[in-house]
Amino acid sequence: MQLRSAINYKILATLILLALPVVFFLSCQQNYSPALPDTVDFNYDIRPILVQKCYLCHGPDSSSRKGNLRLDTYEGATALSKEGTKAISPGHADKSTMIFRINHKDPEIMMPTPESNLQLTKRERALIEKWIDQGAEWKQHWSFIPPTISDEAVLQEKENEGIDHFINKKLEQNGLKASPEAGKTSLIRRVSYLLTGLPPTPEAVDEFMADKSPGGYEQMVDRYLGSPHFGERWARHWMDMVRYAETKGHEFDYTISGAWRYRDYLIRAFNDDLPYDQLIREQLAGDLLNNQRINQASGENESRVATVFYTMGEGTHSPVDVRQDEADRIDNIIDVTGKAFQGLTISCARCHDHKFDPISTKDYYSMFGIIEGTRFSPVPANTAHQSGTIQLLGSEKDSMRAIIAAKWINGLAKKAERVSVIPPTLPTEKTNETTVLGDFRENGLGEWKSDGMAFSNKTTLGDPVFDRQNKIVSLEDGKASSRIIGTGIFGALRSPDFIIDKNFIGLRALGKDASVRIVIDNFQLIQYPIYGGMDQHVDSAGWKNYQFDVSPWKGQKAYIEILPGYFESHVFKMPTGAYVEVKYAIAFNDKWTEPPYQFYGQPTDLQTALDNWIHFKSSSREISAINTLIRKQSLPADMHELVSLLKQKEKQAATLKDSIEFISAVTDGYAKNSPVFIRGSYKQLSDKPVERAFLSALRPANAIYNEKGSGRLQLAQSIANPANPLTARVMVNRIWHHLFGKGIVETVDNFGMQGKLPTNPELLDYLAIKFQRDGFSIKKTIRAILLSNVFKRSVQPGDEARKTDPNNLYLSHFPIKRLEAEAIRDAILSASGKLDTTMYGPPVPTHITSFMNGRGKPENSGPLDGYGRRSIYLEVRRNFLDPMMTTFDRPIPFTSFGKRNVTNVPSQSLILLNDPFVVTEAETMAKKLVAAKNLSFENRVQWIYKRTVSRTASMEEIGAAKELIQHLATIYKLKGGNMDGDIHLWKDYIHSVFNLKEFIYLN
Amino acid sequence: MVQQKHPIYRPVTRREMLGMCKAGFGSLALLSLFGSIPGCSLFDQSQSDLVKKLSGSNPLPNFVPKAKNIIFLYMDGGVSQVDSFDPKPRLEKENGEDPGKKFKVDATQFGNVGKILKSPWSFKKYGESGMDVSELFPHIATCTDDMVMIRSMVSNFPEHTSANYFLHTGSGLQGRPSMGAWVNYGLGSENNNLPGYVVLDGGLIPPGGLDNFKNGFLPATYQASILRAGAEPVANIRPADSTQGIQDEKLAFLKKMDNHLLSSLGGADEIESAISNYELAYKMQSSIPELTQFGTETEATKNLYGLNSPDLHTRSYGSQCLLARRLIERGVRFIELTCPSVGNGADRWDQHSNLKSGHENNAHAVDQPIAGLIKDLKMRGLLDETLVVFTGEFGRTPFAQGLDGRDHNPSAFSMWMAGAGIKRGTIFGKTDEYGYRVIENPVTIHDLHATMLYLLGIDHKQLTFHFGGRDFRLTDVHGNVIKEILS
Repeated sequence: MQLRSAINYKILATLILLALPVVFFLSCQQNYSPALPDTVDFNYDIRPILVQKCYLCHGPDSSSRKGNLRLDTYEGATALSKEGTKAISPGHADKSTMIFRINHKDPEIMMPTPESNLQLTKRERALIEKWIDQGAEWKQHWSFIPPTISDEAVLQEKENEGIDHFINKKLEQNGLKASPEAGKTSLIRRVSYLLTGLPPTPEAVDEFMADKSPGGYEQMVDRYLGSPHFGERWARHWMDMVRYAETKGHEFDYTISGAWRYRDYLIRAFNDDLPYDQLIREQLAGDLLNNQRINQASGENESRVATVFYTMGEGTHSPVDVRQDEADRIDNIIDVTGKAFQGLTISCARCHDHKFDPISTKDYYSMFGIIEGTRFSPVPANTAHQSGTIQLLGSEKDSMRAIIAAKWINGLAKKAERVSVIPPTLPTEKTNETTVLGDFRENGLGEWKSDGMAFSNKTTLGDPVFDRQNKIVSLEDGKASSRIIGTGIFGALRSPDFIIDKNFIGLRALGKDASVRIVIDNFQLIQYPIYGGMDQHVDSAGWKNYQFDVSPWKGQKAYIEILPGYFESHVFKMPTGAYVEVKYAIAFNDKWTEPPYQFYGQPTDLQTALDNWIHFKSSSREISAINTLIRKQSLPADMHELVSLLKQKEKQAATLKDSIEFISAVTDGYAKNSPVFIRGSYKQLSDKPVERAFLSALRPANAIYNEKGSGRLQLAQSIANPANPLTARVMVNRIWHHLFGKGIVETVDNFGMQGKLPTNPELLDYLAIKFQRDGFSIKKTIRAILLSNVFKRSVQPGDEARKTDPNNLYLSHFPIKRLEAEAIRDAILSASGKLDTTMYGPPVPTHITSFMNGRGKPENSGPLDGYGRRSIYLEVRRNFLDPMMTTFDRPIPFTSFGKRNVTNVPSQSLILLNDPFVVTEAETMAKKLVAAKNLSFENRVQWIYKRTVSRTASMEEIGAAKELIQHLATIYKLKGGNMDGDIHLWKDYIHSVFNLKEFIYLN
Repeated sequence: MVQQKHPIYRPVTRREMLGMCKAGFGSLALLSLFGSIPGCSLFDQSQSDLVKKLSGSNPLPNFVPKAKNIIFLYMDGGVSQVDSFDPKPRLEKENGEDPGKKFKVDATQFGNVGKILKSPWSFKKYGESGMDVSELFPHIATCTDDMVMIRSMVSNFPEHTSANYFLHTGSGLQGRPSMGAWVNYGLGSENNNLPGYVVLDGGLIPPGGLDNFKNGFLPATYQASILRAGAEPVANIRPADSTQGIQDEKLAFLKKMDNHLLSSLGGADEIESAISNYELAYKMQSSIPELTQFGTETEATKNLYGLNSPDLHTRSYGSQCLLARRLIERGVRFIELTCPSVGNGADRWDQHSNLKSGHENNAHAVDQPIAGLIKDLKMRGLLDETLVVFTGEFGRTPFAQGLDGRDHNPSAFSMWMAGAGIKRGTIFGKTDEYGYRVIENPVTIHDLHATMLYLLGIDHKQLTFHFGGRDFRLTDVHGNVIKEILS
């Protein structure tokens, strides 16, 4: 509370003593509804009040704090003020200035202040008083306390019984009666849609209806859990979390390579019930895991595909302020990571300490560094090459050198010839003009990172060159080469980050279909205008100088990227035979000067030189000396004994080909501790960088990430850690949300103080603990919920529930739920028989209507019916989102949406009434119906009902159908004749059924 | 002052709203595409939050509104200020000289900095105010006494897409709610029978695409309804059935069956609202197309808007302007017009080359219709309750790009507003002698938004939406109302 200077504190103190007992007395006389709890709980009763009404001025954000008082910590709230008073004096409401201020009527004294427009209710004031009198026990925010279970025995009960135990407890407490179990047709439809997003087939319904055995329901649930369509539905839930899209939006809507492979990865992961902690580790750090999961069938590296998670964001081309662009991009990643995995709004701390949650800007920038140290990279979609072969090739290379060296030594032994290494030519002058960014003329790649297999971890220095007669012609000069094994293998060679301080960057390179890029502030969409010059194609078999004018970006960080292949419209291509070789990279201001060699080895004898050579430790000088001997024919050149080894090597190398398709994923850069951006601006940085670490509220104080790389793996481990109090809770709550339409914590993406409290905290903790003990099995959690009684209840509320729990917080009955956009479209296709259940693969191009215009518009529209494929396989183009999907509330992909809006707007009715897709499918279905011979009128209606609303039609419904069709026939002037046979009539009838509320609602 | 009805300014219970919907079918002749009536348009937490908010101690409007509606004439691509409303004689004198020797040249989008380039058009002073307008806009020039000219606009982005998002949503990033969506969220539609926010698609959707007009994290209810000229102004508005009788039969069947479901469930709010929805959608099928038919307009009116112009693009933009007037007559809050595609290589106002022909073609398409709109509104007394806004996303450089184009310039550009609540016939702000940078009273996009909201009676700091853990607003944490230009 802000103590205003206008107040004389002595008077104030007197006032407190005088006024408080009166106020206290008055407030005790009140009856509150609901009654005050016997024990006031800080988390459930008090903190919500403080958060809503006090924290704007007395919360964690020091920049907006007033009166030097903070009420977000016990220490702050009970601190002795200058005036010798305490805002909260535990056990003594009457001595607490807070009580005095909140009860006061004088606008100068009262809290919250009148201009804040915040007011405390009488009940809230009474709660605070009672809580202080009871000792003002302070607790950590509920979601930061690890889940606990008071009754361990419940965990031992059958999986579904625990759920009902806690649900029934709440019902009892609130005087509610559970509704009876829903009918069997409702149940199978509910289970089928919620697990697979598709209606049950007529056969499945018949089977389930006929199965009177006690285990019938359970078996039915297991069938749907085991269906491959399960993953297609649950992957889509997760895609809402990760702003899934297949293009980058912005002006030209460029493709995100391999986005669909990530979608397929998710589908497989959910179908295979990949443990959730693994799902976390793979998405956040799949590229860094020791055991990478390879898909045996397709050769895809699942763990790496998972990291496409990072590249799902929007992509701006040609931002003038590329540093800001990076900050925005990283912010989006932090935002999504925080919400999706932790249910926390971390990005609120970008500009100031979080107003409500214990997340500081330091926390934000400790995560910022992790993402900043992460680099984007094309990765071969199919990495089937066996690392075994690569190792084999390496050892063959070793043994080859050993054989050659032995032969040479023997050949020379008698002569005892000394090899005199030519004395180094020392550089004439050392200038500050040129900085060497990379020199590959010696053995190693220095600090540069070689990603993929192409460049291996050495230069070519000393590699023997044979002629066709298997004679050694020479040893190779040093250079970084992408064809050390052969072409067709992907790799990238990247420099460490450096700050641009000279006008130019130069590389001496040769190659074919290759490129060299200067990546400034991690900016990837390099193109004209502005950045076009930062991506140069290398297409020359002879050495050439490639020069980049980086003068506009002095002071900014950058790295150099060397690739066998190139980007075309930001899609990476690696044609057969593409390669690149580089001698060195320099930075200079005016004149290109070849940097001097760095090795000035001592003169030495051949034995030592060859020893070094065998161990890949030669200097360029030694190699050049050996080459002189080869040229002088002093060394035996014929190496026929290597013939078989060379052939074998060639053969093995030929098997090592990467796929020519790439995904847009990530790779690790270098450790990067970011400074805090003061008020979110990179133009104003804190003096010291903050160390990379997980959120300070959720880790031991000294748990700092010290990885040499980005620290992503450690981040993933912190989140997947069983001791993390949020991870399991957030996920089981999402599962609950998807099944009941509302989470136990309604704000599924916000478990912070601004989020809603759990309606059933014990149930949430029970589910979270069980989830962990079940090895983070998503399917087991879903199964337990589906087998519980609460899931099977009918949608009809009892009288009590109507009155006292209209929002159905305690789930006395099952909530009515509208189907999602995808399920509605898929249901129509399923009914019409058009549904093509093919799984996976590139997306079906978006159908472009005449209302969809703008830049980056695809040349050709996709098919109206999406080839009958399930909606999850329809392309998600950011700038051309499918209108039917968007209208039925599929979220716009820019951040996490754990909970979709459920709107009810006329454009939805207009789609179902008039959209050509719906009408066409009605016709398709009508044709099938009419083609099915020997169906009576009644059976036709039944045929339609089973395929649309998954049940049989009543006599009344058949009557209504007859009536409609007769009326329509009259209009069509088809009196008489065979009305059953007319496709128009049945099309209209089916179209009407598609428009029934029952068709798009689950009950 | 405008007398306003604010049907959602008071707390309304969900039941009550549903009641309103059911009772009100007859009167809800034209229903919003995206439903502006809570309870008919459905909702969940987010909207009830608004209702809660509005029922609190600080209901909208925050001030007495001066404008009821806004017509936002978006000049896609960036009109050159020194060729339109901000004359710079010095360019004439120094034409062809090296700009780098005169002032510091910022990095430009295309980097191809040429010589100082004088305007190919001459300026004259118009009206009692004596405002300068170039030959490009002979018709708009006759309206200067109804306009306030701001010559000191600045933007944060020199590149179209980010600048478009910034102008439309107050953020350079994709996916945030558009200003029209904010207005729609704050005020709803004035007569409840039409969408609160309409975009008239003149042919060019600006870079950044439809996200310029979307609801972002606001409920979908508040996004723009996109209207086009032609037989199908709104998607799926044309009945799929060959005769109306067939659709009537189907709807009767639906009503019967749906009500049966409803009673078998013992009532269910969700389903009840969904049923209501169909009746509203049904009505729209005839009322929306009616809106775009100009049969009742006089020849004089049509001429005023340039509907009989030999220039196809003038006719096209004229139709949009006339439609805008018809929409505000029906109480639509926020209407944005996008530019026509004039072709001939002059894509929007974005003349990186061929400035002369490009700007002339674009100006010819919009000049007469815009002047017609202002005059027509004035004659009908609507200009006093309507704010007309004319702006691009940024301006253009006073020096050439290449030989005869101009590059993007976010450091200075001109825009104007006409109509309600503004100090008419005045000029605000000043650029340097080259029109390159603002030297007096810079106006940011946030300031523009704050001012537009203010004129509608909204305090931009109070119009917030809680999303992802914090309260968002159109103006983020920025923006000042430009009091100096208000009447």
